[in-house]
Amino acid sequence: MKRSVAGVLALLTLCWSATDEGAMHQNIQNVKAENEARLFALPGVVSVGIGLDPAGGEVIVVGLDRARPATQESIPAELDGYPVRVDIIGTVRPR
Amino acid sequence: MPQDLEMVRATLDRARDGILERANVVAAGVGYKVTRGVRTDDLAIVASVTEKVPPERLAARDLVPAAVDGIPTDVLPTGEFRAFQSRTERPRPAPGGVSIGHRNVTAGTLGCLMRRGGQVVILSNNHVLANSNEAARGDAILQPGAHDGGRFPGDHIADLADFVPIVFLEPPSECRFASSVISILNAGCVLIGSKTRYRTLSLQVTDNLVDAAIARPVDGAFVEDEILELGALTGLGSGSLGMAIRKSGRTTGLTAGEVTQVDVTVNVQYGAGRTARFTDQLMAGPMSQGGDSGSAVVDAENRLVGLLFAGSDSSTIINRIEHVVAELDLTR
Repeated sequence: MKRSVAGVLALLTLCWSATDEGAMHQNIQNVKAENEARLFALPGVVSVGIGLDPAGGEVIVVGLDRARPATQESIPAELDGYPVRVDIIGTVRPR
Repeated sequence: MPQDLEMVRATLDRARDGILERANVVAAGVGYKVTRGVRTDDLAIVASVTEKVPPERLAARDLVPAAVDGIPTDVLPTGEFRAFQSRTERPRPAPGGVSIGHRNVTAGTLGCLMRRGGQVVILSNNHVLANSNEAARGDAILQPGAHDGGRFPGDHIADLADFVPIVFLEPPSECRFASSVISILNAGCVLIGSKTRYRTLSLQVTDNLVDAAIARPVDGAFVEDEILELGALTGLGSGSLGMAIRKSGRTTGLTAGEVTQVDVTVNVQYGAGRTARFTDQLMAGPMSQGGDSGSAVVDAENRLVGLLFAGSDSSTIINRIEHVVAELDLTR
């Protein structure tokens, strides 16, 4: 049992790093699209988009429904060279 | 020259009647002098006029003097002031920006007029005009919406013509294989001390592009091709990152913001456990509240760029107009 868990974890780690290295020259839209499903699988993720940092550079922005320390820890600071920012935007409802 | 506000106000009090009786002047107040489009730190007496007329075309008695008792003046074209029109009332013709809704919906916003084929239609959201897929074509649309006192048949303004169905996410997967994979992953998380837990998600994620619907006015004279406080649209545009935008809505009126995110994929909670995922949306800051749904969103040149439909404490979510016109086969 322990061995199979370790195997799954190793495979997951491989998956993350494989995409990170294999796609160095991807544009930010593709990088965002490739990582979207994994980000939405994390508890509390309500949005993934492309925004600007204060210097005007493009960043991937992950929106959370509220402060989620565990989710925030598991979101990488960078994806394929593009910075990732986490914004707590609240639950999104129709207006 | 530092000026004392109290002194300027006293001067205005003495000069007010004389300024207001001049041709085209509709208001007099105190403001900062604007020189060549730039605000200075000098206080001025500001005369608001319906239109700016060259001095040579004005009689001497209608000219606003350059200064009053040493206080400079400014002439500001503002147009005619109209009595405030409440957005929850029943204007006919009804402009964009006022309350509207399906008979069984509380209230949203009448966005703007569009065309389908040769016909004029009202554009708003599916969840405003079509009750989130629960309505039938031909259903009565009320202006104002039911929450604002709209009743059938007196306030019947249009009939639901068409809507793009919203596809909701499936409830959590019952798939036993998926569930066991998730259990293993979560067990792994426990082992490595991570607080992250995975959930099963349906593999059949269907993405929406718009929350949009159109209604056909029962009488062409019931609607007006203008938007409250925004005026006439100048055409269609396309939202981009950092773009300055404005909207005119039932609840918060005219508000301004900017596109803070593009390419946004977002999960929207429609209540009763129903979630819908939207892709290729625009995000802006907090420039809306409940009841603003359906507002037309325009750029600095009054080109229509989006249809406001959702939001959170700190965000507003907007459908791209490109998708709205494509999905509903509309033109301006």
